[in-house]
Amino acid sequence: MSRLLIVLLSAMLSITAAHADHHIPNLGEKANEFKDDGKKAHKREGMSHAASLIMQRKMHPELLSHKRDKTLRQGVRGGYTQLQKCVDCHTSVDKNGEHIPVNAPDQFCSTCHEKVGVSLDCFSCHRTTPAEDM
Amino acid sequence: MSIIRYEQTQGKSLGFYALIAGLGAFVLAALGSVYFMEHNGHYVTGMSNRIVWGLPHVFALFLIVAASGALNIASIASVFNKKIYKPLSRLSGLVALALLAGGLMVLVLDLGRPDRLIIAMTEYNFESIFAWNIILYNGFFLIVGIYLWMMFERRMNKYSRKVGIAAFTWRLILTTGTGSIFGFLVARQAYDAVIMAPMFVVMSFAFGLAFFVLVLMASYKWTERALGDAIVNRLSNLLGVFVASVLYFVAVYHLGNLYLAENSGVENFILMDGGIYTQLFWYGQIILGGLLPLALLYSPATKGNRSMLGLASVLVILGGIAQLYVIIIGGQAYPMELFPGKEILVGYGGIAAYTPTLPELMLGLGGMAVALIVITYLIKFLPFLPESLADDVADPHHKS
Amino acid sequence: MKELNRREFIKNTTVATASVATVASGISLTTFAADPKESDPVTNEKRWGMLIDANKLSEVDIDDMVNACQEEQGWGGEVHSTGDQKSGWIKKVKVRDTATQRVSNLALMCQHCEEPPCVDVCPTNASMKREDGIVLVDKHRCIGCRYCMMACPYDARSFVHEDLTDQKEHMPRGKGTVESCTMCVHKVDKGEQPACAQAVSSDAVIFGDLLDPTSNIHQTLKNVQSTQIRADLNLNTGVRYSGI
Repeated sequence: MSRLLIVLLSAMLSITAAHADHHIPNLGEKANEFKDDGKKAHKREGMSHAASLIMQRKMHPELLSHKRDKTLRQGVRGGYTQLQKCVDCHTSVDKNGEHIPVNAPDQFCSTCHEKVGVSLDCFSCHRTTPAEDM
Repeated sequence: MSIIRYEQTQGKSLGFYALIAGLGAFVLAALGSVYFMEHNGHYVTGMSNRIVWGLPHVFALFLIVAASGALNIASIASVFNKKIYKPLSRLSGLVALALLAGGLMVLVLDLGRPDRLIIAMTEYNFESIFAWNIILYNGFFLIVGIYLWMMFERRMNKYSRKVGIAAFTWRLILTTGTGSIFGFLVARQAYDAVIMAPMFVVMSFAFGLAFFVLVLMASYKWTERALGDAIVNRLSNLLGVFVASVLYFVAVYHLGNLYLAENSGVENFILMDGGIYTQLFWYGQIILGGLLPLALLYSPATKGNRSMLGLASVLVILGGIAQLYVIIIGGQAYPMELFPGKEILVGYGGIAAYTPTLPELMLGLGGMAVALIVITYLIKFLPFLPESLADDVADPHHKS
Repeated sequence: MKELNRREFIKNTTVATASVATVASGISLTTFAADPKESDPVTNEKRWGMLIDANKLSEVDIDDMVNACQEEQGWGGEVHSTGDQKSGWIKKVKVRDTATQRVSNLALMCQHCEEPPCVDVCPTNASMKREDGIVLVDKHRCIGCRYCMMACPYDARSFVHEDLTDQKEHMPRGKGTVESCTMCVHKVDKGEQPACAQAVSSDAVIFGDLLDPTSNIHQTLKNVQSTQIRADLNLNTGVRYSGI
């Protein structure tokens, strides 16, 4: 029984170890340009850029779901947090110049989401590429 | 009356494993159907924007309605203090829970987004009958579970009557709630009737008892335990009374609807010229599920014959499914009265078409199979069944 | 590490909780460097509504309305769904009075009831009415039970029967959830008119604030005979009709 437990625990440990490496996701076309230009994305007032990025990384589900309820149920429009803005900056373009869905394998959203095994439900309804006229 | 001894079934025979394997095949087929439906979307089913609830809902509601009815035997014993039904109380509670589990499985797996079921548990709209039903179903599991515990645990036996009364009240509310899912749909001519709720209660008596009788007779026959005529004949009489009551409520419901001129259209549709729905109503629900069982239960030639009681129970179940098909799908197929006094030429109207598909049927049957597997397994692990229900054991007034 | 006694434990957890709270509230407090302004929540001082005059509305107008809606919201391109499975947010309806034989044409969509049956029956609060009277489906909460479709007296709602891609940016739609006319809420919030109202050049379709005494729709409703579909249900619809 205890042997079984050890096997189980070491298996779990190796999984967490595998997840601990800091893989840099595919930022997407516009986000990369933005970064190369030396601009500071997601910068919040009173916070260093690094801290702002960490905040964005950690809190994006809360920020998005908070805003989605305000927008849909109370009609609050505009503001910083908008899913379509995420999609606009973080999608990549394939060699034919077509946008790749942001939730496709190895794209911005799925890189991390697959790694941590968290399902991603935004795009069962939301558009996965920037609008045509962009 | 001697002391009742409860005993597990052996569950080692070839027959037991064959039964489990057979039912398991149905459950697997149901799960495969769910994957097929949810992966592709509901376009692979016969359901549409006009027939939004289809065959899965017929089975789900049948099972849920029957579940509350199956608890009746225990209620008669504890609430109305009829001693002869006492030995059957445990099985009654088990059949009730198993049927409800099967019904809810079907209902949940047909949702457009079953993966979001958690939302149904966290976001309640207390104005919604549906939300109330979610609470009622969960409560039913809890209260019947406690009831079973009171019956199993000797120390707790003294509370079993009180809990039994609570469970009985709860099941009445539950079936009223299920009936009200339809009763409050003001827009639809076929449903907008307060009598829907009590009718569902009476339907639950009949369907639940029919299911219970079949489970009881099969389990006693297959485990070669004694089952005396005293109990069987009483159940047979009770089933007859319930079936007759359902017929009475159906008659009142339709006569009441005919009296209202605004509902005469839908009544004509169901009773006269509704094609499959009219046929299911008269041949399925009324003749096969009502009159024929009554004849089998009461005519001197077949009265007291167990095979005939079994046949009558099967017919009541088939008739019940036909009845829910007519209510749920027939009621949607008939168009809503959008413009009273006007005829719609283009854009809406006509009888909506619905052809059930195999995955829908398999999902529904899978719910039944789940209920039966739960019963088969649990009577193996816990002593639900008295080791004998022979007349000298079960009947308090038996004279040998 | 030294053993924590009870008092210290409580003290430490309080500190930890407090700092978490600071971080959490910090999110709403810290602003973005270049933060675009958010609009205020809508209020019940407005109630959006529409008046459709069947006398002035030609059949071509109705087709234009349906097309404009499809174009704007992106429905109608379902590949696998057949017949009644296809979405229909707005449809052309032709009715004939059984007594007088008079024929009228109208566009039928979600009537944006003040007392919407779909909102009453929805178990998860996904069907909802905004303060300004627009009835919507919150697809984040919709579990696809279709009870709202059973309850709607106007056959106004559709269930998405298949996978979709390339949705409109402002109009998320997805398999397994229910959808219906949004009164082009994304346009209305920008001060624009719904697409169907814009598609009709005459004044056969008037959109506006029912509560504003100076609005065209308020004035017209005051002077012209109009009706609600299924007025007997007392739902107080936001979409009104005249000439039927």
